[in-house]
Amino acid sequence: MIKNTSIALATAVALAASLATAHAESYKIGLSNGWVGSEWRTQMIDEAKAAAAAWKEKGVDVEVLVQSANVDVPGQVAHVRNFISDGVDAIIINPNSPTAFDPVFAQAKDAGILVIATDSEVSSPDATYVGIDQTGWAKASAKWLAETLEGKGKVVAINGVAGHPANEMRVAGYTSVFEEYPDLEVVNEVNGNWDQAQGQQAMQNLLATYPDIDGVWVQDGMAAGAWKSIMDAGKTGDIAATGEIRKDFLDLWVANDLNSGAAVNPPGVMASALNVAVFMLKGRELKEPATAGQYGNALYLPIPFIDGDNVAKVHEELEGKPGYYSYTSQLSIDEAEALFK
Amino acid sequence: MTAVAATRPPGRLKRVFERYPFLPAFCIFIVLLALNGVFSPASLSARGLTGLLSTYLALMLLAIGQTFVVYASDIDFSNGAILSLVNVVIIVFMEQMGGSGLSVTAALAVGIGVGLACGLVNGIVVAALRLQAVVATFATSIFFTGLALYVLPVAGTPAPRLFWRTYGGRFFEVPFVVFAALGIALIVYLLVRTRLVTRLLAVGDDAQAAYQSGLPVTLIRIGGYALSGVFAALAAFCVTGDTASGDPLVGAKMTLFGVAAVVLGGTALSGGFGTVVGSALGAFIIGLINALVYFVGTPSQWQNLVQGLVILIALMLGIMVSRRARA
Repeated sequence: MIKNTSIALATAVALAASLATAHAESYKIGLSNGWVGSEWRTQMIDEAKAAAAAWKEKGVDVEVLVQSANVDVPGQVAHVRNFISDGVDAIIINPNSPTAFDPVFAQAKDAGILVIATDSEVSSPDATYVGIDQTGWAKASAKWLAETLEGKGKVVAINGVAGHPANEMRVAGYTSVFEEYPDLEVVNEVNGNWDQAQGQQAMQNLLATYPDIDGVWVQDGMAAGAWKSIMDAGKTGDIAATGEIRKDFLDLWVANDLNSGAAVNPPGVMASALNVAVFMLKGRELKEPATAGQYGNALYLPIPFIDGDNVAKVHEELEGKPGYYSYTSQLSIDEAEALFK
Repeated sequence: MTAVAATRPPGRLKRVFERYPFLPAFCIFIVLLALNGVFSPASLSARGLTGLLSTYLALMLLAIGQTFVVYASDIDFSNGAILSLVNVVIIVFMEQMGGSGLSVTAALAVGIGVGLACGLVNGIVVAALRLQAVVATFATSIFFTGLALYVLPVAGTPAPRLFWRTYGGRFFEVPFVVFAALGIALIVYLLVRTRLVTRLLAVGDDAQAAYQSGLPVTLIRIGGYALSGVFAALAAFCVTGDTASGDPLVGAKMTLFGVAAVVLGGTALSGGFGTVVGSALGAFIIGLINALVYFVGTPSQWQNLVQGLVILIALMLGIMVSRRARA
């Protein structure tokens, strides 16, 4: 009797399971993040998880598996291998190296897995990059600075980590823009290693050396520090400088009416990549194949911009968020679908 | 426990343990392998095991090299930096010489040379100049990292296709890394039978006694560091094969994992006692722990913490068993 019941039960479960798979599409997507040093990365993972949950309404089950830890490159290669063992349908990765994943991505592709990189481009022909163009990101804020200064004056730049691929792309971006303005002089470029304290220190030194500068091009993660030095020097009204997208900086911006502009590198890029991935898994084809960028495998997302015109509105949107929260944007499911045939 | 002790001649466990000091590590290894299989059956497939081997072969080599240094109760905190240096040197060399088979072979020879030279520097600084091993090799690690950054300032620069296609490829349907592992096993099998390794153990057991019995203690210790440097170079070949690119900082985080693997394998940091097999198992224990933390579904924000805890527990288990056995 007991045996019969259990067989009946097993059959029912099996039947229910097959019905479920017949009716709902379901995908398993692995997210890999190799550095956990900033809130931006945490927000990136959280938004991607939320985006996966949102597919439920569309009748698609997206299960996400997350591996996020401070790892070296071999450690992140192991992330990818774990996902391959686990039989995921797609891997979305914020990679620690542009070139080191070529072999393991080739293995993933052989196993029939879709590989998408986000936030930082990869050279692998077996992966697609879905994210912003870091060069374009720098160009947008450089253009804002040049136009705000009406194309003339003295400018300094504060950069991140010398030799880091994203940093080099950004330097190339602003350099190409400033070259178009012959009356704009870049008097010095320094490195602040994406650290607020170092950014603040660098700005202090620059202000002491060049008291007559008109503009500052500073990368995010250091702009709040740089602005603090500018305000301490009593030059708030005299200098235009790029800003960043964290809530605590936007508070400062609105309260002091700073002359600032910020290109947005949204933490929602991984969520956007996830939405694109699901359509790819459904077998849909992109209208325009992803062939942009230096590696010819990129699909660039739009880069929002915050300046004096919309900062009040952006600030209002972030009302009640914690100070470390970054202004974000992501491709909604419908916006992602619009990219496909 | 007492019943067991009464029926067996005393000291039998002790003798088994002295003959196979890596037994606790072996048990932990088997348990972890089984757990991985339970939580992710595919991780025990041929593909999964090959992946594990190709990812952790480098750590295994670092740990083996470290073992020889630890035998003589020294320590090498620079072998991760040597790995990075060899990685960027061979990448830049192959890039400039073109990706032909000849240039790849030449690059490997150069890589071994660099590893050996770094090892000799360590040995001279520690054994001949008599600086404290921990501090001296920490200092040389900074020096080697500086050299690596000079050779290749930015991570990148792809390896020739021939190089990583070979490492990740198959011969007669068997993955290349399996041949590599067998080759290493053979080298180590021959190596542990050499006079140098026996003498390293003698020095580690009692340096004073070794000296008084006429052994060239300084030269022996330098030999240990030289072995560690050469094994770091071999590890660099694996990292280069697995990542197909150069990274001047790639090995920095691996040094301490290597030391942990040595201890997990039952080798005493005080010297004079241990096995290479244990260190190799220790490296794979670390790899299996990293994978297991993910396979059991640890939330992402806890992954680092749980990984650290489990390594700690594995260390404690191993040390408790070996203490009891040797007591």
